[in-house]
Amino acid sequence: MKYKYVGQSYIRPDAISKVTGKAIYLDDIRLPDMLHAAILRPQYAHALILNVDTDEAEKCVGVVKVVTGAGCKFRYGDNIKDLQPMAVTKVRYIGDPVAAVIADTPAHARAALSKIKVDYEPLPVYIDARDAMQPGAALIHEDMSDYWRLPTLKETPGTNIANTYHLHKGRGEEGFDEADVVIEQEFNFPLGSCAAIETHGSIIWFKEDRTIEAWSTSICPFIIREDLAHSYGMPIADVRVHIPDLGGCFGYKSDITTEQTIAWVASFVPGRPVKWVATREEDFTSTLLAHGIRTRMKIGAKKDGTLVALKSTIYHTAGAYADTAVNLTMASTHNSTGPYEFKHCDLTGYTVYTNTPAVGAYRGYGHQESQIATERMMDLLARKLGMDSLELRKKNFLSEGKVNAVGEIMWKHHGNLLECANRVEKMVFSKAKPREDDQYVYGRSLVTVMKSPKGAPFSTKGCYMKMNLDGSVSINMGGAEVGQGMRTVIRQVAAEALKIAPERIRVYTEIDTQYSPYEWQTIGSMFTTQGGRAIVRAADKLIAGLKKTAAQVLKTDEDYLEYEGDYIVLRNDPSIRVATKDLARGYITEDGITIGDLAQSVSDARLPRYSNPDKNGQGSIGVSYTMGAQAVELRIEKKTGKILVDHFYSVFDVGQVINPLQIRGSVLGGVTMAIGAALYEEVVFDKDGKITNPQLFKYHIPTYKEAVEQTIEFVETPDPIGPFGARGIGEHSVIGAAPAILNAVYDAIGADFYEIPLTPEKVKKALEARKESK
Amino acid sequence: MTEKLTFKVNGVERTVEVEPEMMLIDVIRDVLNLTGTKLGCDNSTCGTCVVVMNGKPIKSCNLPAAKAAGADLVTVEGLAKGMELHPIQTAISESGAVQCGFCTPGIVMELYGLLEANPEASEQEMSNALNKHLCRCTGYEPIRDGALIAQKMVQEQKKIK
Repeated sequence: MKYKYVGQSYIRPDAISKVTGKAIYLDDIRLPDMLHAAILRPQYAHALILNVDTDEAEKCVGVVKVVTGAGCKFRYGDNIKDLQPMAVTKVRYIGDPVAAVIADTPAHARAALSKIKVDYEPLPVYIDARDAMQPGAALIHEDMSDYWRLPTLKETPGTNIANTYHLHKGRGEEGFDEADVVIEQEFNFPLGSCAAIETHGSIIWFKEDRTIEAWSTSICPFIIREDLAHSYGMPIADVRVHIPDLGGCFGYKSDITTEQTIAWVASFVPGRPVKWVATREEDFTSTLLAHGIRTRMKIGAKKDGTLVALKSTIYHTAGAYADTAVNLTMASTHNSTGPYEFKHCDLTGYTVYTNTPAVGAYRGYGHQESQIATERMMDLLARKLGMDSLELRKKNFLSEGKVNAVGEIMWKHHGNLLECANRVEKMVFSKAKPREDDQYVYGRSLVTVMKSPKGAPFSTKGCYMKMNLDGSVSINMGGAEVGQGMRTVIRQVAAEALKIAPERIRVYTEIDTQYSPYEWQTIGSMFTTQGGRAIVRAADKLIAGLKKTAAQVLKTDEDYLEYEGDYIVLRNDPSIRVATKDLARGYITEDGITIGDLAQSVSDARLPRYSNPDKNGQGSIGVSYTMGAQAVELRIEKKTGKILVDHFYSVFDVGQVINPLQIRGSVLGGVTMAIGAALYEEVVFDKDGKITNPQLFKYHIPTYKEAVEQTIEFVETPDPIGPFGARGIGEHSVIGAAPAILNAVYDAIGADFYEIPLTPEKVKKALEARKESK
Repeated sequence: MTEKLTFKVNGVERTVEVEPEMMLIDVIRDVLNLTGTKLGCDNSTCGTCVVVMNGKPIKSCNLPAAKAAGADLVTVEGLAKGMELHPIQTAISESGAVQCGFCTPGIVMELYGLLEANPEASEQEMSNALNKHLCRCTGYEPIRDGALIAQKMVQEQKKIK
């Protein structure tokens, strides 16, 4: 279907403020009488705190106050209340806040940190879930069972297992008795960082009027508001949270992260705002990390390639606090099927406390972490069956009529994965692979992927819409613009729904809980889907209101009227009409008497019938799916083992492209991040739990010269939930790169790898082994 | 123990009091309140802090402020003339090179330093310059596109002059 504004490229409304340096990010905010905080991090990753001596630090230049966790009585967290704003009796990871200095400048605050003396009694350190869940391991949270948690979560007392999630479909593991062939393998997606170019930061201000005002680098202002209100015993309405422009998120600015720590610090200097901005090192050590997922996977299949049974066990190195990891474990577990139907599933996810920073969201939310296993297993299985791996995939796609792991029936509108795969197949395999030469050996591979959101059933996105006196429209929503281009999407969807040019629609520039409609958090690639639906609903309500007034003006019935953007006309005689803008504040008649309501509307949208999982992990817990195919062409430099990605292909069924320029940008960036994870990125710990590479010159993210040529296309099978048929695409592009690269390396040199990052050293070893066996 | 420092910023001579341990970025952001210049890392890796000093793009996060004495500085705030954007800003805003925008001012200033001095810069020179900047959003292709459009626009502008 052809639309007027949807499907065209428009320049994002925030582009000008960003190229002129006028966009206001957290660290650009200056408030009257503002103080600055610096936070002391421990020398041990797991230790009892015996004593904290702040006397010397208190005397330093510019210092206003030194704060510790002593006396903190509350815990917080949305899923498990296992977090505290500052360590009280023990530290559980190397970035745990131990104390804070509040001073007149950031430099003075930092300078005083070294004067704080802390005595510790070290405890055993666990940096991997497998070690932490061994019987007899020292407990990271001794009182875990006393913590409040969602009723759907279950800890294992006396262990470090914060939650065990289980999904049972069909006959579960018993279903393997129907298989002719069974393969099993373990995979690892190590800890990484979202590493947005803007680090985390917050400003919190406890005011004398007993309100709190806060600013943060976050995509969940409403969660921050509720959590602070709850922790400090205040009405939610008395906490006001602002979200300025955000310098990237990629996941780790979702959920509540450092805000409670800064609030605790600021609560000691009521009346004055306190700002804290993470150094890059702290951004690695003391905010949320990513991934940390080991997947043990067993697949059973018939001789003809029909998949019958899947057993996945996810060991999640969740970090010192599991509140942000527990949903991620679940998403990774139930999406470990990839885009395939298995009649029988036995899927288990362990969320395990470790002495590492808490793990939270990262673009892809658990999908790439377990689908690295699924997509490698498809190639391993195809080899065992003597089958073409793409044929094997196609045979088992979650296509129309199939039932996925959580028991949802798949419909045509969930997307045409076969078309995506066929297109990529043609792009890659219609030409011959280059032959090995003196310098390089070449490989290529195609994978297919799927993603659903993992949110909360109550998660909704609100929209306030108002028409101004000249017919221009102002739209206010609670979604966070992190760079994804949400503001452009809002404008285009609203323009289409209201039949007016996008230039006449102005989209909000910051979130302020005092004015913004509620949104749980901007996650799960769901803004276009849910936010877009909310816009369509608000537009429908706005138009209905306009028609009601117009019916009075034109002396007819509402259903005889047609809304045409600039005018509302009588359907059977369009010469009888009223200008829409004249209805904006009600209609002013000749004698000044004004009739009708203000032209404004309120709406919101959830995913339809989105539910919690039942005790078997079954339920309407995906609802919206985006599927696609990705492929890589790479070469391996024989001398060094270095992998050079020559070309990357992506085709996704996105329902309807809203903005071609932006959607290409989204996929370009996602693929680049994912290639970074596959080839370079890992947050490395020594045995004591210290991070050895917490800087961007050590934790290498892809650079300009490493950018890869990409071909990106879209299939458009309209989605019935999203606006004008669109569905989510923000995260999906990151899923295929790692397994595609590992499979292509096998294609090149016949070596199987099961973990990333795949560094030149590892490949070089495999090349040497290959030489010996030749 | 502050000392006085005089330099030109965006065409205006300024004298400011600075602490001896201050880097140039601290003066730009915290003393002059020009917050368009960003800080993205701890050790001059990311390139968000780039400004143009005496015609050259430099990282302001590791240059002691005192070394800017007498210098001619341009920050991202100095590029647009009122409502009229510099061609580099126009090109970068239209090519898809802006997503979160945090790396953008540094990239704009890098290109400004490069193209004002050498409008005929080769693709290799452009690539070497842009390789000093980390971007986590775009996959760099739209930045390359924007830089090439910017170069053409700057060349046109110089011809007209």
